[in-house]
Amino acid sequence: MAALSVLSGISYESAPVPVREDLPQAHRDAWAHLAAPGSWWTGAERVALAAEVRAAADCSLCRERRAALSPNAVAGEHAEAGDLPAAAVDAAHRIATDAGRLTKTWFEKTVASGVSPGAYVEIVGIVVTVVSVDAFCRGLGVPPHPLPEPRPGAPTRYVPAGLVEGEAWVAMLPNGPARGAEADLWPGRRTANVLRALSQVPDEVRNLRRLSAAHYLEPHEIVDPGAEGHRALDRRQIELVAARVSALNECFY
Amino acid sequence: MALAEALVGDDDDALHAAREAALAALGPEGLVDAVAVASNFQRMVRIADGTGIPLDGPLRVVSEELRDQLGLERFAASANTPASSAASRLAGRLIRPVAFRLMRLVGRSLDRGSPGR
Repeated sequence: MAALSVLSGISYESAPVPVREDLPQAHRDAWAHLAAPGSWWTGAERVALAAEVRAAADCSLCRERRAALSPNAVAGEHAEAGDLPAAAVDAAHRIATDAGRLTKTWFEKTVASGVSPGAYVEIVGIVVTVVSVDAFCRGLGVPPHPLPEPRPGAPTRYVPAGLVEGEAWVAMLPNGPARGAEADLWPGRRTANVLRALSQVPDEVRNLRRLSAAHYLEPHEIVDPGAEGHRALDRRQIELVAARVSALNECFY
Repeated sequence: MALAEALVGDDDDALHAAREAALAALGPEGLVDAVAVASNFQRMVRIADGTGIPLDGPLRVVSEELRDQLGLERFAASANTPASSAASRLAGRLIRPVAFRLMRLVGRSLDRGSPGR
């Protein structure tokens, strides 16, 4: 695995077109976040999980499962990139390659296999960070960034107060004003479930917001269908791209 | 659209062609925005599907008819959203004509706070 000091910069100087500065800055922040100890995984484990996301692209088991009528009909072992618990590797590969066919039963089996719900939420956060930054690079025709050098330290094991069960597979902060240490997670009195989804690991929500603000829109702009977001594409063009990608991924949400 | 489709697919030649076409049609800034949005939704769909979240309540109410028309119930992840009641369907029909304006008001009422580091 190629390593990159998070102190050195991610840039898009080799891209075929100029890239507005908020995007590489968001990606530098995301890589720094990836390298740091999380709530449930060390920095080394987080970077190893990121490597699994990339390994999933060439994983024959993932390919066979995607082609199968049911992913559960195909047994085997993933083409692992490191030394992580098998259930965590499976989660990283499945979320990266076939998320639309994940089920609550599969999630419960993953938790029963030893990946705690908080650790699972953090895996989701890691996977989606790598998937989106790598997709951006691929879209522009530039090589993916080397994964960052892990930072030392232990996971915080931080659990935000007030998590509620039962709305989704994972516990989330309630849909009201974000409070206390989590007051910065979303603006206003309510937010979308997709922001709450990672709230069991608040730093993953913060990372998501920074990335989304650069790639797409700020939360208050997302809610307002008339907000343009000051982009070269108008809002209808933005939503058309978003809807097409979501439909191809068979995303109901 | 071709760029979005190519980005989700794994054909690098198709992606190259779609990128060139998007650059010609949208210009450099438009290409960057299109790639940024498409890659953003490669992220968002995995969060939704990976955590089993249901559709947000208000959206569930106003989008019932549209979801039916598009046949979105065929997607496996629809199992994460409970079926709507008759009362909810009726409320959706009543609210839909003013939904756009209501969402604009909600959006404008939110502050613009940024997440901490």
